[in-house]
Amino acid sequence: MNWNCTTTEERLSDYLDGALTPAETAAFKAHSACCRECAKIVAQVGSLVTRMHSLDPVAESPMLVNRILDATIGPRVQKVGWTRWFGWANSLLQPRLAMGLVTVAATILILIYTGGITPSKLKRADFSPVNAFRTANRSVHLTYARSVKYVNDLRVVYEIQSRLQPSNEPSPDATPSSVPNEQQQPKNQSPQEKSQTRPNPGHSQARTVAMLACVVNRGFGTTINALNRSSR
Amino acid sequence: MEPDAQLVHDCLQGEGSAWEELVRRHARRVFNICYRFTGNRTEAEDMSQEVFLRIYRTLPSYRPTFGAFPTWLTSVTRNLLVDHYRRTRRDRLTDSMDDVMPQIENKESSARTPDKLALAAELSDQLQQGLARLSPELREAVILRDLQGLDYSEIQTVLQVPEGTVKSRINRGRIELAKVLEDMGLGPN
Repeated sequence: MNWNCTTTEERLSDYLDGALTPAETAAFKAHSACCRECAKIVAQVGSLVTRMHSLDPVAESPMLVNRILDATIGPRVQKVGWTRWFGWANSLLQPRLAMGLVTVAATILILIYTGGITPSKLKRADFSPVNAFRTANRSVHLTYARSVKYVNDLRVVYEIQSRLQPSNEPSPDATPSSVPNEQQQPKNQSPQEKSQTRPNPGHSQARTVAMLACVVNRGFGTTINALNRSSR
Repeated sequence: MEPDAQLVHDCLQGEGSAWEELVRRHARRVFNICYRFTGNRTEAEDMSQEVFLRIYRTLPSYRPTFGAFPTWLTSVTRNLLVDHYRRTRRDRLTDSMDDVMPQIENKESSARTPDKLALAAELSDQLQQGLARLSPELREAVILRDLQGLDYSEIQTVLQVPEGTVKSRINRGRIELAKVLEDMGLGPN
């Protein structure tokens, strides 16, 4: 096939659009491979076409459509009836907005239940500002009181633990050198005296249980008293 | 029934919402043809408005046998653009604006585009400068084929010229555009 520079230029778009026969395509490629000028044109035009196809449309002015509608059908008729008030509801049908609203509603429900409000037990009077304020005030104080009690209980537990710590763990003085001193104690010591000088592990556990029971049953003050009594 | 055809039918029944939908659906397409042809946003918007005014008035004369509605719309747009080009040619020749226009347009667009460093916007501007230097016949052929994505038969319908002429114009338009961009130092590389 006699393929020259003129043919290449004339059939360039056919080549780019894939409209050449296999024999023509082969001749086109063979010529482009040996002709520098044609190879350059093919590369340039091919690149240009690819870039043009990848271009997005230019965005028109947002006012253009309104301008056209005003010029053709004139100012749009105001919506009447229910569409005037509920026309915005169409926008709720958009999935993204609907998902957002569901999330907000779920968050509000969680907050309501966490705040101790039961929607089924709500009365009309609960919606008056005074009652709403009272309820909110009571909820805040109750939450505060609960948190204070929780912190106090924690303090008691830590205090018990800190007081019991030395009796459960060997003291720094309880080194091997101190053992002979213990052994040197008189053997005729009474059991009562023994219990005072030497802590009994079983006794300390019982004491811990008793104190924790006091924490649960009587509260902070009673527990401190029990703690003081037991320590004496 | 084709969605556009249904809308056209509803328009002819006097439904304003159908016309509004038609305008919203095709405004960008018409604007882009006008913008690529004129190279000026304001002029393109004026032309787009004129196109839809013409469509609105001549809609009763539209028949599906003329081709799909978008093809007919493109045809009307192209005819108005050619009229506009002929009407304003004398002004442009008098003012010798042909050589100056690309530079002016470049400045305007670079000032208007917020993300002027974006590659797509840059390419779009470069292309606009190159298109402005093509003859109207070659320019419209390239715009319809490579920027609007019309096939050869649709372009033939719009331009009312034989298919061989369409192919020849597209081919010459592409080659000339590539050379113009290279001369302007805006080649592919």
